[in-house]
Amino acid sequence: MAGFLLKRLLQSIFVVMVVTLVVSLAVRMTGDPALMITSGATNVTEADLARIREGLGLNEPFIWQYLNTLAGLFTWDFGRSFVGGTQVSLLIGSALPATLMLAFASLFVSILISIPLGIKAAVSRGKWADQLIRILSLVGLSFPNFWLATMMVLLFSITLRWLPPSGMNGFASFIMPAVTMGVILTATNVRLVRTTMLEVLNSQYIMVARAKGLSERKVLYKHALRNCAIPLVTYLGLQFGGLLGGVVVVERVFNWPGMGSLAFDAVSARDYPVLQSVIMVLSLMIVSVNLLVDIAYGLIDPRIRTE
Amino acid sequence: MKKNFAATALALILLAAPAYADGKLTVSSPQDPGSWDPIDTFLVNWASVGTNIYDGLTYRGPDMELVPGLATSWEELDEGKRIRFTLREGVAFHNGEPFNAEAVKFTFDRLLGEEGGKGPQQSNYTSIERVEIIDELTVDFYLKAADPVLLTKLAGYGGMIVPPKYVAEVGEEAFNLNPVGTGAFKFVSYSPKVGIVLAANPDYWGGAPKIAELEYRFITEPSTAIAELQSGGVDLVIPPTIPIGMIPTIKADSNLELVTTAGPTVYSLRYNTRDGITADERVRRALTMAVDRETIVSSILGGEAEVISQLQGSRSFGFDPDLEPLPYDPDAAKALLEEAGVAPGAQVQIDIRGNDATFNEVVQAVSAYLSMVGVTATIQPYETNVLLNDIIPQGKTGAMFQQSWGGWTFDYDNTAYSMYHSGEKWNPYDSDPELDALLESQRPMTDRAEREAVLQQIAGYAFERNLEMPIYNLNAIYAINTRVKGFEPAPDSRMKLNEVSVD
Repeated sequence: MAGFLLKRLLQSIFVVMVVTLVVSLAVRMTGDPALMITSGATNVTEADLARIREGLGLNEPFIWQYLNTLAGLFTWDFGRSFVGGTQVSLLIGSALPATLMLAFASLFVSILISIPLGIKAAVSRGKWADQLIRILSLVGLSFPNFWLATMMVLLFSITLRWLPPSGMNGFASFIMPAVTMGVILTATNVRLVRTTMLEVLNSQYIMVARAKGLSERKVLYKHALRNCAIPLVTYLGLQFGGLLGGVVVVERVFNWPGMGSLAFDAVSARDYPVLQSVIMVLSLMIVSVNLLVDIAYGLIDPRIRTE
Repeated sequence: MKKNFAATALALILLAAPAYADGKLTVSSPQDPGSWDPIDTFLVNWASVGTNIYDGLTYRGPDMELVPGLATSWEELDEGKRIRFTLREGVAFHNGEPFNAEAVKFTFDRLLGEEGGKGPQQSNYTSIERVEIIDELTVDFYLKAADPVLLTKLAGYGGMIVPPKYVAEVGEEAFNLNPVGTGAFKFVSYSPKVGIVLAANPDYWGGAPKIAELEYRFITEPSTAIAELQSGGVDLVIPPTIPIGMIPTIKADSNLELVTTAGPTVYSLRYNTRDGITADERVRRALTMAVDRETIVSSILGGEAEVISQLQGSRSFGFDPDLEPLPYDPDAAKALLEEAGVAPGAQVQIDIRGNDATFNEVVQAVSAYLSMVGVTATIQPYETNVLLNDIIPQGKTGAMFQQSWGGWTFDYDNTAYSMYHSGEKWNPYDSDPELDALLESQRPMTDRAEREAVLQQIAGYAFERNLEMPIYNLNAIYAINTRVKGFEPAPDSRMKLNEVSVD
C-alpha cells in the first residue's frame, strides 16, 4: 500500500510541475508585462521599461522565478500582482472560496435534479418518460452554458427582476450561476444514475426485497439508491475537479469574483504571478481530488493496489 | 471585526454628512487597477475613481478647460523652466492632515524617487527636476526643460497630491489599499476584483457632494454591465465598456439614457511609407479617397464617432478645424492610382488587432471600398500585444496597419511626436527631418497660442503627406439610469461626481 501511495503521490507532483511549467513558459512568450503596464503612458523610454522590469523581478532567470512561485505553496507568499502590486495570496484568498462555493452549489443543484430523474428513467425504462429524460439530458449536454446564462439573466434579472444579474452577494446571487453549471453536469449525471440504477435493479437482492413485499418506494430509495451511491460519489469527485477548471466562462458572464475571473484578467494583463499561482492552486486541487479517489479505490479494491 | 469597523466608519460618515447629501450612486467600471496609489498604475479606470478621492494642483473637468485645483494660481517663470504655485488655504486630507507645501513636495519627491520608479507614472513627469518649498502655501517647480503639457498632467494621475504623514505612518503597502486624499469622496472599503466604496466628504473645498455614497463595481463583460444597468444594480456604466453593438439595447430602454462625448481615441490605418506601392504619396492619397468614411461612421459606428482629417479629435489641443477630411471620390482615386502606375489588382495587406470587433468591421468595409478602385486588400489580424510590440515597432507590417491612439492629456504633441518623429517606436518607416524639426520646436514653447499654431502646422504637414488614412474619433460612451441627475460625460473618463445627484 505504501508503494502504491508513493507512486501516485509522485505522479501527482509531476503533473502539477508540468502544468505550471508549461503555463509559466507559455505566458512569457506572449508579451512584455512592462509594456502592458505602461501602455497609455507617454514618453516611456527603454530605461523606464528596464527599471519597471527590474522592479517586477523579470530580470531574474526564468527557473528562479518559477521556483519562487512553487515555493509559494509552502510559504503562502505568491509574490505580487503586476497590476497594482496587490499580494497574490490576498487575491487567491478571496477568489478561491468564491469558486469553491460556486462549485459546491453547482454539484448540489446537479444532484438535486439528476437523482430523481435518473431513477425515474431507470424505472420506466423504454417507456416515454425514459425517452423524454434521455432526450432532455442530451439537450442539456449540448447547451452552450453562456447562452443559458444569458437567457436566464434576460428573464430573471431584466424582465422579472427577481435575481441579481452578477456578483456574489447573498443566496440569490448563487442561483443562476449554480444552475448554469449544474445543468451541464446534470446531463451526464442523469445518464450515470440511470445506468447504475438499471444494473442494481436487475440484481438478486432487489428481487429479494421485492419478494419480501417491500413498497416500491422503499426498494428504490433504501436498497437500490444506496448501492448506486458508490460509483456516483466517485464520479462526482472527479467532476468537482473539472468544475474548478470549467468555471471561467460562467464566472465571467456572472462577474463572479472567483479563480476563473482572476485567471482571465491575469492573462489579459500578462500578470504572471497571478496567473501562475491560480493555475498552480487549481491544478493542485484537481490532482489532489484525483489522488484521493485513487486512494479510496485502492482501499476498497486490493487489485488496484498491486497493479 | 474588520467588517464591523468599516460598517461603523460608514455609519459615522453617513451621520456626519449634511442632510442634503442623500442617496447612493453605483458605477460599473471595467477594470480593477489593483492599487489606489496614484503612482502605481496607468489605467484610465484608476482615474475614474481616483479623481474623486484625490486632487491635483490643477483641475480639468468635462469642458477640458484647465482651472485651479489645489493650487489657486500659478506663474511660469524663467522661460518656462520654473513654475510657482500658490496653494489653496484651509484644505485638509481625509484623515485631518493639513494640505500644504510640504505635501506637494512629498508627493513629487516620492513620484520622482525610488517609489515612483517602480511604477509607470514616473516617466510622465520626468521634466520636473525638483520641487522647492517657498513658504507654507507657495512652491516652486524647477524643470529640466520647459514642458508645455505639464500643467495638464498635474491635473491627474501621478500628479495627485498624497498625505505625507499618513503614507509614512501606514506604509506604502497599506496606502495602496486604504487611500487618503483631499477629494470630494473619502475611501470606505475595497475588495479586490469586486469593488470600492466611497463616502461623501462634506468638507470638500470644491463643494460637498450631493450623494452620500459612491460605489464602483468592477464588471468586465459589457453584456453583464448592461444587464446590471437594466435591472437597477448599477446606475452608470463608464467607458471603455459599451460596444457600439449594444447602443440599440440602451436606447430601447426608457429607464436608460446614452450620454456621449468626443473621446480621446482616434482610429486610423497608417501606411508603410517606405516600401511597396504605399511609398508613393499619390497612392496613399488615392487609397484614402477611395474609402467612404462618412458612411462607415454612420452605419458601423451608429454615428458615435466623427470622421477625422488628422490623428486627433476636435477636443485635442493642436486640432486644426480648417483641415477638411479628403472627400470620398473613387474616380479621382482611380485616376491617381493610374497616374502612379498601380495596375488594377494590386495587393495590400492591412494588419489589425484581432480582438477589436468594431474596428474589424470597419476594416472589412475599407477593404470592400478598396476593391472598388481595383486594390485587393487582405486583412491580417494579430494578437494585440504581438501587433503593438513586435509587428509595428519592427516594421514588419503590411502596406497598412491599425493605429488606435489616444492620451488623456488631449494634447496633439503626445500623438504626433510618437507617430511622426524619426526613430520612435510607433514610426518604423518614416524619417522626415522637416517634420522632426517641427515636432521638436514646439516642445519648449510656453506661449500656448504659438505652440498651438505649430501643432496645427504639424497636423497639416502630415495631412499633405498622407502619412495615414485617418478614419474616426470615437465617442466616449456612458450609459446612465435616468434617476441620475446632473451627470456630465468626461471625454477622458475622469469624472468627478460631487455635482451628481440621484432621485
